[in-house]
Amino acid sequence: MKRLVVIPAFDEAERIGAVIECVRRCLPEFEIVVVDDGSRDATAAVARAAGARVLRHPFNLGYGSALQTGYKFAHRAGAEVVVQMDADGQHDPAEARALAAPVEAGELDLVIGSRFLGVGDYQMEPLRNAGRALFRGILRGFALRVSDPTSGFQALSRRVLELYVGDAFPADYPDVDVLLIAHRHGLRIGERPVHMTASPRASLLHSGLAPVYYVYKMLLSVWAASARPRDRRSA
Amino acid sequence: MKLDPRLIELRELLLSAPESTSTRVLFVSLSLLLAATVLLLVKRRTLREEYTPIWLAVAAAITLLSLSRPLLYFVTRSIGAWTPSSALFFFGELFLVAICLNYAVRLSRLALEVKNLAQELAVLRAELERRGAD
Repeated sequence: MKRLVVIPAFDEAERIGAVIECVRRCLPEFEIVVVDDGSRDATAAVARAAGARVLRHPFNLGYGSALQTGYKFAHRAGAEVVVQMDADGQHDPAEARALAAPVEAGELDLVIGSRFLGVGDYQMEPLRNAGRALFRGILRGFALRVSDPTSGFQALSRRVLELYVGDAFPADYPDVDVLLIAHRHGLRIGERPVHMTASPRASLLHSGLAPVYYVYKMLLSVWAASARPRDRRSA
Repeated sequence: MKLDPRLIELRELLLSAPESTSTRVLFVSLSLLLAATVLLLVKRRTLREEYTPIWLAVAAAITLLSLSRPLLYFVTRSIGAWTPSSALFFFGELFLVAICLNYAVRLSRLALEVKNLAQELAVLRAELERRGAD
């Protein structure tokens, strides 16, 4: 069974080396693929030196596109299980195995590492929490219970890859919309508790009008995802 | 709604105003200029042929409306405008909105294609590196 870890990275030269080290120790049977999203620093060189395979975007395409490049590579390489995690050290590779296990056993297609299932003490600002509650409520309306839809720590089966390499996958920031698409395609989605430390870099989503646009965009794409026909060609 | 007869009279008065020759000359020359610019851009390969029909059609429409007074007045009356100029502004704005939306659609498609190409490039380059290393 071919297993891959996909790590999208943008200007993470300082942290990516340690993350890869950690992944190699915790998941020796996983091939590590770093997607360098047009970094301006030495991210690619550091990742390569640490033993990862590096896919390099010629320019910055955004988080979602970087993830998707990793999926496309994994899909073409024939991967059966993919673990995705962030390059900033927010996720603990030691917990990746617990995410991958249900996928390897064929019990689930998509396993989300959730900050909000009782492990750790991840704190969110009230506004973000309100947004999370809103989208959690929307997902519940589609009979999908997910406590942490924005988590970048996930394990995916090949069936998910087949869906995510399509043009329906959001280029900027995959969130509840893509979970909804996966859910509507009959993929089995579950969660496992994980620890997460707050990201060392300030999120771009929290300045000025960006959060307002984000909520608007997400509502629009959730509506679009639910209004599209369910067949595979739409993906 | 019952209109004040004086208003109806005023509207008829406005619509019967003689069209000034200078306006007509201005509009015809502007539309000819537009058509010439479009053709010149195509010749220089700055504009692709597929984008030209809409602009040439606009130039033709402006010329036609400026030259044919009955047509302009018919259009003005049928959309309920009071003056031919407001009818022209209305259609101008409608056209601009439509073409902007059309460009937004084209841009979205291009962005998707550029993203897919860049991803393909990244995957292929990694594949090449792997083969080089073997």
